[in-house]
Amino acid sequence: MKLRIKWNVKCFLCLVPSLIGTLIFFIIPYVRVLYYSFIDNQFRRSFVGLDNYVKTLSNEYFQLALKNSLLIIIIAVPILIISALIISLALSFGIKKLRALRTVFVLPMVIPTASAALIWVGFFSGVDSAFPVYLLFIWKNIGICIILMTAAFTNIDNSIFEAARLDGANRFILHTKITVPMIMPTIIFTVLLSIVNSFRIFKESYLYYGGTNYPPNHSYTLQYYMNNNFLKLDYQSLAASAVLTSILVLVIVIGGLIVQRRYRQ
Amino acid sequence: MKKVLLILLAMVFVMPLVMTVVLSFRGENNTITLQNYSDLLFNCFIFYPMFWNSVLYAIVITLIQFLVIIPCAFGFINARFKGKNILFVFYIILMMMPLQVTILPNYIGLRDIGLINTHWSIILPAIFSPFGVVIMNQYMQGTDNSVIEAMRLETSSIIRIIIHAVIPQIRICIFATGLFVFADCWNMLEQPMLFLREDSLKTLSVFIANADKYAGNIMLPAAVIFMIPVLLLYRFFNQHLEKGLTFGELS
Repeated sequence: MKLRIKWNVKCFLCLVPSLIGTLIFFIIPYVRVLYYSFIDNQFRRSFVGLDNYVKTLSNEYFQLALKNSLLIIIIAVPILIISALIISLALSFGIKKLRALRTVFVLPMVIPTASAALIWVGFFSGVDSAFPVYLLFIWKNIGICIILMTAAFTNIDNSIFEAARLDGANRFILHTKITVPMIMPTIIFTVLLSIVNSFRIFKESYLYYGGTNYPPNHSYTLQYYMNNNFLKLDYQSLAASAVLTSILVLVIVIGGLIVQRRYRQ
Repeated sequence: MKKVLLILLAMVFVMPLVMTVVLSFRGENNTITLQNYSDLLFNCFIFYPMFWNSVLYAIVITLIQFLVIIPCAFGFINARFKGKNILFVFYIILMMMPLQVTILPNYIGLRDIGLINTHWSIILPAIFSPFGVVIMNQYMQGTDNSVIEAMRLETSSIIRIIIHAVIPQIRICIFATGLFVFADCWNMLEQPMLFLREDSLKTLSVFIANADKYAGNIMLPAAVIFMIPVLLLYRFFNQHLEKGLTFGELS
């Protein structure tokens, strides 16, 4: 009994370094960010309620940034997931010989963003829409989705698949009714991961537009908004927009986890 | 038909890579030249400290973070305490948070300890990134617990247990995570831009983003050199990627 407790304490101690780091670099400062979002400025520090939030939400650039960030989620993420699914299906069931191609699709993920963005500029010079950035995002993120999906497909019990095939189910029905639903938890995870990564394409976008803080309107995302406030040292609007963005991500992730849990039962 | 399509698609994927290399040798009037490379290597000396910084940050972060994430993932699996699942969900959510949310708390934390504009401002927050913990935890769930149980009869040292019973089982995951984290650090742009003031502390990624500030056509040769370390690592570790990354049901 005593040994059991001792072991448990030791296991808990293993968590401590990570917890301390998270506390120092995230949790404690995040509480301060929350505090900043409710005061008027760094010096007077008087409480202003939701003023900063109202100001941020009614700021025209914040609205533009939010709209563009959501557009990526609505347009680019579904294209990404569906094409990753089709490629994974082809590589897992159709043309197994080409499985080695998986590694090619992963390459963009590990290739330095900076060099990719440079070439993109050459390809798409003169295109005046957010489309090149969407493509850059898909190009960059499809690899991890394919890896996770093919890994999940290989875990499917082959006998179910064969039985359905012998029953005369055609390929399309086979996949839509059996294989794809079976890896639903993984698909939900890739959707979640892609949504989160869509918030992260600032780097790609920033380099694509040649290191400017003011890209064309269609590509001005939340990240630009926050980056610019960072450079202006405008802590109040930065804090408010950081809190708003974190709430948005929190809702998306919790939603995803709940859907995933539902699928398991 | 499908085969051809897939191969074509794969070619489109490698295209930007090939183009970077080809164009880096292009001189005036479409001639082939080494001028760009010599401009970069002999006329732009800030390139060297920045290249070195990228190497330093990426290696130090990748290695030290394992000291944090392996015990942490092990703890999450083996410790029993109230609120463990909620704490883990918190790690997942933190992992999913975009940089623009975490970077301000990171900045404030670093500022309060007085580490802004030092090497540590880049290294420390990255070491405590929750990504590795979540990925290791997922992998460890599929490992054999009996080895650990057997080892516990012989020693009470948890460090020895981790070294001899856990690490050999998760080697593949360590390679995969290492590759990911290295590539991620190598690509860092926002942190060095916002946490560092002096160019001599910044990284190659910042150099490339601002290459036109320094000299003529050095951006592409710099990009080619920039790709080499990650591609080499990828060449050696990519076979572990798929087996090392198991993400399914998170919680």
